[in-house]
Amino acid sequence: MVTRSTTTAALAVIGLLGWGCGSDGDGADPSNDATGSSTSGGTTAGSTSTGSTSEAADDTSTGGSSSGGEPEPQGFDPEGDAPDLLSEYGLLDWDGSQITYRENVFPYDMNTSLFSDFALKDRAIFIPPGETSTYPEPSYPDNQVIEYPVGTIIVKSFMFPADFTDPESAIDLIETRVLLRYPDEWVALPYVWDHELGDAVLTVQGDTRQVTFVDPEGTEQTANYLVPQKNQCAECHELKEEKGDDTFITPIGPNPRNLNRIGANGDNQLEHMAEAGVLQGLPPIGEVPQTWDDRSFADTPVDELDPETLVRAARDYLDVNCAHCHNPRGVSGISSQLFLNWDNEDEFNLGVCKAPGSAGNSGNLDYDIVPGNADESILIFRTESENVGNMMPLLGRSLVHGDGIALLRAWIDAMPPNDCVSE
Amino acid sequence: MRQAKISVLSLLTLGVLATTGCPGDDSAPAADSGSTTSADGTGTTAVAETTDPGDTTAAGSEESGTTGDNSADFPNCSCDEFETGTCYAVTADDEEGLQIAANTMGDGDALVLGLGVFELDNQVTIRGDDITVCGQGMGEEGNFEMGTILDFASQAAQSNGLDAVGDRFTVRDLALVDAKKDGLRVEDSDFVTIQRVRATWRTEGSSKNGAYGLYPVSSNHVLIEDSEAYNSADAGIYVGQCQNAIVRNNIAMGNVAGIEIENTQFADVYGNHAEDNTGGLLIFDLPGNPIFGRDISVHDNVVINNNRTNFAAGGTVQAIPVGTGTFAMASRRVEIFNNTYADNATMDIALISGLVIEGNEESWGIPVGEVVGDIDGLDLPTDGKLVYSYRTDNVLVHDNTHSGSGTNPTLSSFEQELGLLLAFVYGANLPVDSLLYGTIGESSFDPADPAMNSNDNHICLGDTNDGATFASLNIGGLLNDAGEIIGTFDDLYRPDAPFTPFDCGEFQAGPIIPPDMD
Repeated sequence: MVTRSTTTAALAVIGLLGWGCGSDGDGADPSNDATGSSTSGGTTAGSTSTGSTSEAADDTSTGGSSSGGEPEPQGFDPEGDAPDLLSEYGLLDWDGSQITYRENVFPYDMNTSLFSDFALKDRAIFIPPGETSTYPEPSYPDNQVIEYPVGTIIVKSFMFPADFTDPESAIDLIETRVLLRYPDEWVALPYVWDHELGDAVLTVQGDTRQVTFVDPEGTEQTANYLVPQKNQCAECHELKEEKGDDTFITPIGPNPRNLNRIGANGDNQLEHMAEAGVLQGLPPIGEVPQTWDDRSFADTPVDELDPETLVRAARDYLDVNCAHCHNPRGVSGISSQLFLNWDNEDEFNLGVCKAPGSAGNSGNLDYDIVPGNADESILIFRTESENVGNMMPLLGRSLVHGDGIALLRAWIDAMPPNDCVSE
Repeated sequence: MRQAKISVLSLLTLGVLATTGCPGDDSAPAADSGSTTSADGTGTTAVAETTDPGDTTAAGSEESGTTGDNSADFPNCSCDEFETGTCYAVTADDEEGLQIAANTMGDGDALVLGLGVFELDNQVTIRGDDITVCGQGMGEEGNFEMGTILDFASQAAQSNGLDAVGDRFTVRDLALVDAKKDGLRVEDSDFVTIQRVRATWRTEGSSKNGAYGLYPVSSNHVLIEDSEAYNSADAGIYVGQCQNAIVRNNIAMGNVAGIEIENTQFADVYGNHAEDNTGGLLIFDLPGNPIFGRDISVHDNVVINNNRTNFAAGGTVQAIPVGTGTFAMASRRVEIFNNTYADNATMDIALISGLVIEGNEESWGIPVGEVVGDIDGLDLPTDGKLVYSYRTDNVLVHDNTHSGSGTNPTLSSFEQELGLLLAFVYGANLPVDSLLYGTIGESSFDPADPAMNSNDNHICLGDTNDGATFASLNIGGLLNDAGEIIGTFDDLYRPDAPFTPFDCGEFQAGPIIPPDMD
């Protein structure tokens, strides 16, 4: 129900919008209205602006001429502070029901996504015109995330339909998080939408609120939704350098494995970006590894997955949902010695017959994973819990992801049984 | 939504209030918080909008010349004492102002919190080097209004109270109450100073309390002093996976574990008071951790009456027998001396092989190349590929005083197997000996088997342990293959002082190496 396409019509309108943020909030309202009224029909057609750079450039020049030939300001100043309003980046528009992206902005999806209390997440990346990203070396120290040029902006918006079972349901767009590529570092910032203002506002202190909705199964849910503080972004996005004690902020999702899928326009997302000139070094797509597609939750019950797929699905699910902390360089997870990254091959560190190192309620259970026995595994206890004091992940979830739990349970139950009692 | 708008205003205003944020700004951004703030988020609106220089609102600044005005809010720590960096001063009740400041400050900045209570629904997150956070006092246990209180009772997510990552981080003179996870967590930081900080939970003995009170982890050069921790469901003061730590003159009461030194190298632990915990002061390595604990000195502490029911919600700490003074487990190069032990119902000091809690040696193995820190001079079991940390060796215990302990080892429940074992084996032969050594399959002193009497683990008991008696337990021999207790009191090896052949008095490879705090 939320399309990510940006039509020619939308681009034409964009040309009319100013950089816009020298004025205060009131000044932004008209632009929001204009975008909304003119794009609401067009975007459902499903065409995209990201077919090729030249097309997009043509579109823009058309739009630009209608507003007097001024190029649309986009991006941020890598030498300066981040803007207070999201609109100042010039990347996207919200019409009350969907986000549309402007030129040079590439919407993307993930094969396996982090569960965030059922929130719909809309993702896109802006790469400054003329710049390009680079496919990671196998040993690239950025957790195999694609290497992005200075000025890159990754945006991720969180929204809840009032009723997931009703495509016409009103949608509450709560926040848009941005990752900004500065010369020496990534900076992560939360922008909270103010729908009276028609913009999202930098809110470094984060926010907490209750969100009530009908979930995809038709059950009414109330999530304790937490907009992370600026510094809290680091809880998930911070890694240790491979050598030395320094830490750094990194994107998590946009790695080749997870981007390797067919996008909304029918093309492989990586190939599409390569063709558009914003990704270099892409090997033949058949050689790019691929994360399991979690949309198969919808059509393949976990008990029908073949053994190999079950393992892959579970490991990819753990990788995306847990390994941002639980990996050997995860600042927040290293002390646990529980490493759930997909490429961890050490069974003990994967949790098999591993007593938990330190903190946390383990539900009177002894081991993170008891092979063949999900009920006795702390990993299940903590991911299944809705008790704030017990649950994992620590951030981003207040509800239970039934499909995810079913997958993890099936994975553990399918392991060769071992009660973990030595000798 | 309205809040978002406010927040920008707050942010801008805070920038104005910052000491070095506005060179040349001679307005007086200080404050009478009473007239402008309220307890909820909207209170900050008033703060934010009060930009009239004459109506000082929230902060003290070096240049403001209004220290007289805000001395009521900042009697102990004020921005006056920070000469470099930007200082953010926030009065109590301005929770949003606090969170904005925490998320705005950068390297070298200070956050000064006023007298009173901050009610916070999310953790306070500090990222950056050379940052100081100070309040106006940690107050007194049982009181939740004195000093500077950060109250996390309404926390929405499983987060910590104060969560910091950054080198040369200092926190002092405040209290952290009812955090969902840890009261204070400082991770991956070099030079950490924690002074006069109280971490506590309102409900005594609740397994729903947060795990750790004061928790520096994976850090180097850590000082914790004059601080207090109460009622944590795991450890009150927990130095985990650190190198070079001083823990002195602190109080730990009402916790499952009072003070824990875990997988830590070079620690000096003295002058502390551990009372009314399940276990008082514990030193141990966890299986599978690549930092091998070493060179821990524990002296001049008071470890008494640690008989609290074990209310841990899980984890290794759940196995601590009720009535434990100190144990050193999977530890090496540990010296325990000049301490006062009294009235710990199960035992005062137990030296235990890691195999007692995790019998699978492989769980204790670390690939040689992954070992962190200095293991020179440690006599660690190894097969050339893996190094194992289960062994407890080179422990020197002397000059402690012992009284009134070991009288009731039956307080433990099934989760505390060692406590149950002692209760069964000692039976009516109480009290349990105040000094215990327990291992499985290692030299543990069997009168009938001289081959077991080498003391090649170098467990050394000085002869001036006033009031002490001693027993060595070959725990493997006390159990049958099914894990049932078959041993009796007669199976214990209980030499009188000087406890020969445990009467050695020196460490292999020289005396304990003190922490290097420079």
